[in-house]
Amino acid sequence: MKLNTYQQEIFSHQKKNIEKFGKKTWAWTIFFLLWILVGGYALYLQIADGHAVTGMRDNVVWGLYIANFIFFIGISYAGAVISGILHILKVEWRKPIIRIAEMITVVATIIGPVFILLCVGRLDRLHHLFIYPRLQSPIIWDVLAISTYFTGSVIFLYLALIKDFAVYRDAKLNIPKWKQRLYTMLSLGYRGTARQKKHISVSMNLMAIMIIPLAIIVHSVLSWIFGMTLRPGWHSTIFGPYFVLAAIFSGTGVLIVAMWVYRKMYKLNSYITDKHFIYLGYIMMVLGAAYGYFTFSEYLTDWFGSEKWDSEVLSKLFSTSEYGWWFLFANFAGIILPVSIVAIPKTRTPNLITIAAFFMVIALWVKRYLIIVPTLESPLLPMQDTRPEFVNYSATWVEWSLTFAGIATFFLLFTLISKLVTVVPVSEFADTATEEDTEVEEKEIVQPA
Amino acid sequence: MKKKMKQSILHKLNKLQFTSLFVLLLFVLPATAISQTDSTAVAEESSLISPSIDFTSVQKTEAISLKVAFSAKVNGAITKLKGYKIEFFAGTDSGFSKIGEALTDKTTGIAEFNYKADLAKNAADGKLHFKVSYEGNQKFEAAEEELTFKRGRIEITPVKEDSVYSVQLKLVDISTGTETVIPETDLVVMIKRMFKPMKIGEGKTDETGLASIEVPGNLPGDEKGNITILARLDENEEYGNIEAEVTQQWGIAVSNLNIKQPRALWSAHPPIWMLVTFIILMTTVWGHYFFIIYELFRLKKEHE
Repeated sequence: MKLNTYQQEIFSHQKKNIEKFGKKTWAWTIFFLLWILVGGYALYLQIADGHAVTGMRDNVVWGLYIANFIFFIGISYAGAVISGILHILKVEWRKPIIRIAEMITVVATIIGPVFILLCVGRLDRLHHLFIYPRLQSPIIWDVLAISTYFTGSVIFLYLALIKDFAVYRDAKLNIPKWKQRLYTMLSLGYRGTARQKKHISVSMNLMAIMIIPLAIIVHSVLSWIFGMTLRPGWHSTIFGPYFVLAAIFSGTGVLIVAMWVYRKMYKLNSYITDKHFIYLGYIMMVLGAAYGYFTFSEYLTDWFGSEKWDSEVLSKLFSTSEYGWWFLFANFAGIILPVSIVAIPKTRTPNLITIAAFFMVIALWVKRYLIIVPTLESPLLPMQDTRPEFVNYSATWVEWSLTFAGIATFFLLFTLISKLVTVVPVSEFADTATEEDTEVEEKEIVQPA
Repeated sequence: MKKKMKQSILHKLNKLQFTSLFVLLLFVLPATAISQTDSTAVAEESSLISPSIDFTSVQKTEAISLKVAFSAKVNGAITKLKGYKIEFFAGTDSGFSKIGEALTDKTTGIAEFNYKADLAKNAADGKLHFKVSYEGNQKFEAAEEELTFKRGRIEITPVKEDSVYSVQLKLVDISTGTETVIPETDLVVMIKRMFKPMKIGEGKTDETGLASIEVPGNLPGDEKGNITILARLDENEEYGNIEAEVTQQWGIAVSNLNIKQPRALWSAHPPIWMLVTFIILMTTVWGHYFFIIYELFRLKKEHE
């Protein structure tokens, strides 16, 4: 693979990241593994003693796990939005950040569904979902949609990586043999011929077009698990678009935070510039405003109708002795903060946008929790057993441990992937460089002395 | 120099304005809400409301059901107090000991606690003693209520003679070591329904403690025709409430599954439109995936 000067500069800057694992990375990896180990012990207890070790009971049958599931599937939208939409629109500034976006998509889509497995009892019957599927059930729609979306995301990420794998293969890096062989295998013999370029281009365009409706379908189907039931606070036609919007919003937030971390960690200021933060900030602001509108519309309709059970859920959300403070935080940090930070020119800086995005992501997690728990605490039929732990949900340390283990796995996979591939794609700049500057000098990469 | 200083001051002022706005949003709004809550609490502390506890019991075969209807007069209206923690105590000669707690229901304002009949122990007076208490908060005073009753039991025997159904009831006192019948006492017979039992007859025990009450044969039951007959001693001064039940196949079989519901999604097969939509969607998406994989094979072949 021949690289132009700019590509070579990008690659030289990042080469050491895939060549060396480093002490800091080892420390992080061990730290995440320890968290996962604690989660493993919690999982063992959950399997050995059953779901009694969680806070879930007859009435509140969903808790942290489902909130985490929706959250992770939500942030997976980063790839769909940045890679899909911006690819179709041929937006040039997307190039340095698409790799991070696609990594978020794949990793989040791996972790999200695991929380479903943690939530259901009788994992020994899991294969029944595939042997005896009932197409009438929204749960089956979810299984099919997420597995299809995951496959699509992996293909999309891989397509974008083939050219880079070829670069790594030919660069004669100081890496173990297995890694060299892996790059050779994954690069599929790519040499950058016109026909090979065409195959990748056709496939990429197809996937970019498909990933967007797929992502919309996945989160709509996810929302229908709630929306198709007659529960107060859930049975709403707005839930499909509301979930889709919230997912794109949170995905953008996670992308901004990840960009900030990688920029700082790998000193990528020349490639991930302030412009990227500001442009993504604009996207976040517009999505935040739209999300705020949907939120207001949703609660106003419920409040105005004053239907008995809807009113009960709303009273819980507004009561400071129940979920009032969380509700306030979810709306302040989830809507007002990100919109204000980007709207005010003085605060429109990478650091403040990242802080706003960070709090927004947490607020969106809280929002998912507030969608699930207060509704389940308001059953349509009177509760037969009124013990406090049956009436009100309170997550146990087992659920929290597994939640943190999920987050640790997310970070761990991210760390490992960023040691396998460069965070800023190298080959993505090839076409631009040759189109815009035909006189760019092409060089063979040679191993530095 | 002056210009520079002026610019610097202006810059600092702008920064200050923004910081003030941020602080206002972040802290003042929630603080306003907190201060509202606090002021309400202070105002209410001076005039605490006395809640009312209506404490009843039902003696069943396996357990003693203890029920508390918790309410208070708020702004001139009797209001059910929902979601409040009620503690339950059982009394012995040495005093009361806690046996559990329950929240009042979010709809009815009733807290219910089922105490295993085997665990109930008579005090020296031959009676069972229970106490419930509410610890109070900023709005409501603490409150407690006691209940004392003798152990009793209803024995229910289904009787079928020709095509006439009835239940024979025997009311006995079990507060002492020996069982003694309770004569001249009114009993009610009901049929269990989804929300509340339906009364179908009543009778009085004779000198042998027995009463016989007829059960109609045309009552709708479940899909097998089962009905659950409930015999009850209501609000007796000595025994409180006692209940016993028996299930018999004396009703008319009613099966909801026989009702045709063409739009129901619990049918054996999905609707055709759903199947067609599913096949089209999955074929389109996975077809493209396979096409892309084929393209990758071609890419590899080009190299070879």
